[in-house]
Amino acid sequence: MTSAAAPPAALQEPARPPRPPARPSPGVLGAMGASFLEIAETVGGMGLLAGQVARRVFTLRLDGAEVVRNLYRMGVKSIPIVVVTALFTGVIMVLQAAPLVQRLGAYGLLGWGAGFGTLREIAPLLTALMINGRVGANNTAELGTMVVTEQIDALRVLAIDPIAFLIAPRVVAMVVTLFLATIFADTLALFGAALSGQALLGVPPRMFYNGLTGGLLGIGDITGGLVKAVVFGVVMALASCQYGLGVKGGAPGVGRAVNATVVASAAGIFVLDYLVSFTL
Amino acid sequence: MSAPTSPPTSSHPDHGPSSVPQSELRDLVPEPSGVGILGARAIELALAGLELYSVFVRTLYYCVRGRREKGATVQQMYEIGNRSLFFLTVVMGFIGMILVLQAGIQTKRVIPELSLLGANYLELLIRDLAASIGSLMLATRVGAGIAAEIGSMVVTEQIDALRMCAADPIDYLIKPRFLASILMSTVLGVWSAGVAIATGLLTAYVMFDLRPGTFMNFSLVTPGDVILGLTKCVAYGAAIPIVSGHSGLSTFGGSEGVGWATTRAVVNSSLAVIVLDMLISGAGFFIFPKG
Repeated sequence: MTSAAAPPAALQEPARPPRPPARPSPGVLGAMGASFLEIAETVGGMGLLAGQVARRVFTLRLDGAEVVRNLYRMGVKSIPIVVVTALFTGVIMVLQAAPLVQRLGAYGLLGWGAGFGTLREIAPLLTALMINGRVGANNTAELGTMVVTEQIDALRVLAIDPIAFLIAPRVVAMVVTLFLATIFADTLALFGAALSGQALLGVPPRMFYNGLTGGLLGIGDITGGLVKAVVFGVVMALASCQYGLGVKGGAPGVGRAVNATVVASAAGIFVLDYLVSFTL
Repeated sequence: MSAPTSPPTSSHPDHGPSSVPQSELRDLVPEPSGVGILGARAIELALAGLELYSVFVRTLYYCVRGRREKGATVQQMYEIGNRSLFFLTVVMGFIGMILVLQAGIQTKRVIPELSLLGANYLELLIRDLAASIGSLMLATRVGAGIAAEIGSMVVTEQIDALRMCAADPIDYLIKPRFLASILMSTVLGVWSAGVAIATGLLTAYVMFDLRPGTFMNFSLVTPGDVILGLTKCVAYGAAIPIVSGHSGLSTFGGSEGVGWATTRAVVNSSLAVIVLDMLISGAGFFIFPKG
């Protein structure tokens, strides 16, 4: 390139933009900030989605047939898991309370102990976790598949509001499902606890029942659990829809989204559990 | 499933020979009803149990005899352990606060004296809750992760490619996860207990004015409790990758299939944790009697 005749400007290589400086690998603070921003983005997205869903629900612009179909798919199909979980949970509660009861000789209080644990915490929490695994994950997978195969865009092309047709029915169905499943799980877990109390500790079901209704437990314990169920339902529904609609990149993307939604819902459930317990 | 060579008993009408009329087939294979559905479910369950058992045995076999791939287990330990640390810390922190709060409020209704709250809480936590709730969360996170990863591999035919290379996917994929999960679930179980104890201690101090010295009362924790807690950690750690790896390997279909496999992995490994919890707690009730 030492020749005097410089090539015309058009033939010269276009000036390369300066290479961006190699990104420094994020330090601990950077990583924390990045994950914090990610969490904030997800929570904000869920809030916006909640607003949109609420607008459709309150103006009754949601697809009735879809609500019924989702109620069947989420509620009726989850009954076996709820039954198994609740019965086993009742047995586990008695097994764990057994040493305490034997040490204090407080056989009459077994019903009360199992009752408050089940009604206030364990039944709503475990029902939500199991349904989160089954329904929340499935929901994300379904919506994610729709996004990947461009079915959501097809709905928009047909002038069908995807929120009113797909999202709002799911949110409503999930809240109703969780509410009813928690009532169901309350009953079954107490039933399992009463049976195992008799088998393991020799506490007759009559005494268990008296402990349960002896005045130490009020209606507040039951409604507290049910409020939790509704809150968990809203969070799970919003998280699973949010992650499902945000799927990118084919089958592996769907898998990643399902993984993320299950984790996010579980964390959300525990955080809100504390907040609800604290305020009630 | 019957042999596909005998058309009258074939359970796939669309795969049967076209000479057999549809209506006749339906007469021969009536819609299952009542007991039939139950029986079909029971057979399905038994078959799934058998498959799980076979995966488990093959994993154990490869743990002893398999090829050793350098770094695979360590990488899985990072994936399963370190990546779950933040999630588990958040969840167990809140669990500790919730448990102490609820137990304190309820105990106050019966006896206005909370000095034994800490002792009972620590006993319960070490014997059961740290391992069980921590592993339930691990089942959610790790189970979904394993199933999604292996499921995507099945869908993109990478598993078939492995088989073509004479590498058993159980040896190559499930064994490292199995070993890593057993180790990390034990470590994370101990960590969960630590986090829950710390937040419980804080809650008791802030809400009920319980001195940390009174709260940290290990007098009710027996060696049996510690053994039970660690046994549970190991058992859950073994169950989670087997169950979710199995459902990942049995993926079929496209992206929808991956979603289904992930769902099944989460549900089944959570159920496995709950069932194992009941079995081990029941055994512990008789092996280490208390009081």
